[in-house]
Amino acid sequence: MVTSTLERAAEATPPGAARRIKGLSDRAIAWIFVAPSIFLLLAVNIFPLIWTINLSFTNFKANRNREVEYIGLRNYERILTDADTWATMQATAHFLFWTIAVQVLIGFTLAYLINKKFKGNDMWTTIIVLPMMLSPAVVGNFWTFLYQPQIGLFNYVVAFFTGADASSFSMIGEVALAPWAIVIVDTWMWTPFVMLICLAGLRSIPESIYEAAECDRASKWRQFWTITIPMVLPFLMLAVLFRGIENFKMFDLVVQLTGGGPGNTTTLTSIDLKREAFEKWRTGYASAYAVILFVTVFGLASIYVKALNKVKER
Amino acid sequence: MAEVTLKNITRSFGPDVALDDVSMTVPDGSFVVLLGPTGAGKTTTLRMVSGLDVPDSGEIYIGDTPMNGLTPAQRNVAMVFQQYSLYPHMTVRENLEFPLKSPLLNTPPDQIQRKVGEVAEVLQISHKLDNKATALSGGEMQRVSIGRALVRNPAVYLMDEPLSSLDAKLRSDLRIELKGIQADSGATLLYVTHDQIEAMTMATHVGVLDHGRLVQFGTPREIYEDPVSVYAASRLGQPRINIVPADLFGTAPSGAASMGLRPEQIRQGAGQESLVTRVEHLGDQTRLHLFFREHDLITVTDPHTALKSGDIVQIEPHQPFYFNADGARIA
Repeated sequence: MVTSTLERAAEATPPGAARRIKGLSDRAIAWIFVAPSIFLLLAVNIFPLIWTINLSFTNFKANRNREVEYIGLRNYERILTDADTWATMQATAHFLFWTIAVQVLIGFTLAYLINKKFKGNDMWTTIIVLPMMLSPAVVGNFWTFLYQPQIGLFNYVVAFFTGADASSFSMIGEVALAPWAIVIVDTWMWTPFVMLICLAGLRSIPESIYEAAECDRASKWRQFWTITIPMVLPFLMLAVLFRGIENFKMFDLVVQLTGGGPGNTTTLTSIDLKREAFEKWRTGYASAYAVILFVTVFGLASIYVKALNKVKER
Repeated sequence: MAEVTLKNITRSFGPDVALDDVSMTVPDGSFVVLLGPTGAGKTTTLRMVSGLDVPDSGEIYIGDTPMNGLTPAQRNVAMVFQQYSLYPHMTVRENLEFPLKSPLLNTPPDQIQRKVGEVAEVLQISHKLDNKATALSGGEMQRVSIGRALVRNPAVYLMDEPLSSLDAKLRSDLRIELKGIQADSGATLLYVTHDQIEAMTMATHVGVLDHGRLVQFGTPREIYEDPVSVYAASRLGQPRINIVPADLFGTAPSGAASMGLRPEQIRQGAGQESLVTRVEHLGDQTRLHLFFREHDLITVTDPHTALKSGDIVQIEPHQPFYFNADGARIA
C-alpha cells in the first residue's frame, strides 16, 4: 500500500481522546484527570486547615461532649501571653539556629573534602550518609544510651579528652546541657543530608570554569570566594530551607531522647502542641496554636524562598 | 609578549599518546595556528603551554624561562576555551573584569573600566555588558570569552577554536578583527582550529598535527606549496587536493605510490580526455568535477565557463606532488 508521509503520520497518531470518549470536551477530560488530586488535596489538606481555623475560635474539647462556644480571639490571646509558650518558642529557635548553623558549616566542609578526587571517596560518602537512613525514633533511643552518664560512650569520650569525670554530667538530665544534647544528635543525623545537597552543588560547577579562573590568574582562595561559594549558594540555601522546615516540625527524635525535659527545656513547639491537643485535650486552644505555627513557618518560608529565587537569578 | 618554545613534549593519557615528541618554536609576535582533525593533539598542546596540563616529558619555555612546575597564573597566559567557560553567576562586565581584578595585576579601577569598554566595543558586546553571562547566545558567549583574554596583556594568548560556534558573517568579521589586534599589538598567539580558512587568513605560521606528532611547521604558503606528506597536503586547499595513483597519467618517478594534484596542478585544454560529471558555480570560482580513468578529480575553472556535465575536457598534470607508499613526499 502506497501512502504519503502525511497519511502515515495520521495513522501513527492516535485519534484525539475527545473523539474516543464521546460527548466530552477536551476541557472536561482535563478535569477528569485532575479531579482525583484536587479531591485528595481538599480532603487531607485544605479542609482540615479551614476546620482548624474554625476550631481555633472555639472552646471545643475533643474528649467532651459539651456545647461548643465561639470565644473569638481568646485562644490566640492566651497563647501569645503565655510565658511557657514563649519558652518553648525560644527552645525551638535555639534548636533551629544551632542545628542549621552547625550542619551547614560541617556539611559544606565535608562536601568540599569529599569532592576532592581521592581513592575511596564513594565509600566515604556512603559511610557518612548512613545516619540519615536510620529512623529518628531509633536514633533518639540509641543516643539515650550514648548519653548515659555511667555507661555512655559520649560521656566516656568527653571524659577521655577533657579529663573530667564521665559520670559528673548528664547531657539529657541537666537543664544547661539538654538543649545542646538535641542539637548534637540532630546534627549527627542530618549533617549528611546537607552534605549531599552541597555535594550536588559542588559537582554542578564545571571543572573548566576553574581552569578559566586559573588562567585568569585567580588564586585558589579567590576561586573559592568568587566561584565556589556563589555557585553553591543556591544549593546551600535550599539545604537551609529543608532543614529549617523539617526541624520546625521536629518531634520524634526529641521525644525519644529527652521527652521534652528536663522541665520544659527541650519542649519544642511541636511537642507542646501535641500535649495541648492530645493530652490536655484543649482542642480549640491547640488549633489556635497550630494556626500560629503555620503562619510563622509559612511566612518565614515565603520570605526565604523569595530570597532564594533572587540568588538563583543572579 | 614572548617567544614560546616546546622541546620534545610527550604526553599520554593511559594507552593513548596525545602528544608524541613535539618540538616547535612560536616566534615572538607570531600568529601560530595548529591545524589537525579531532584527536590530533591540538588542544593538548595548548593546555601544555597554559600549564593546565603537564607533559610526561619535555620542556616548555616562555621567553627564556622554563615553565616546568609553574601554575597557569605564574605563566601569565590568557586562554580562550572552546566551551566558553564563562563565570555563569556573573554579568558580562564582571566576567571581563575578572582577570583584571587579579591581585597579581593590581589594575586601577578606571583603567579596568576603560579596557573593558574598549574590548566590548571591538567584540560588539557593549550593549550586553550588564546581562548575565548565561543570558547570551552562543556567539555572544564566545565573544565574551575572547574578550576575557583580550582585556589582558599576557605573555601569550592561547585560543581553542574560538570562532567555531559563530555564524559565518561574524566569524569572518572576527577573523579580521583578531588578526588586526594581533598585528597591532604584536601579541604572540597560539591558535587551535580545524578550519583551514582561519589558518590561511590569520596565521603567520601553521603547525600541522597528526595523531600527536607535529608533521610540518611553516608559513601557510609553505605548507600549501610544499607539503611534506599526503596528510599535510590534505589540510589546506579548497577544493581539497586530489590524491590519485602515481602512474595515472603515465610514467612516475620510481618509488612514487601516489600523486597529489591541487586544482592549479591540473592543466586544462591539453593532454588526455576526461569526462565532466558536474559543474558547481560558486560565484567567484567554478568547480569542475571530472571523471578520469575510474578516478574522480575536482578542479577549478574559469568562473564563466560554458562547460556542462557530459562534456569532455583534456587535462594533464603540471608539476604534481609525488608521495611514496607511506604518504611521505618524494618529489
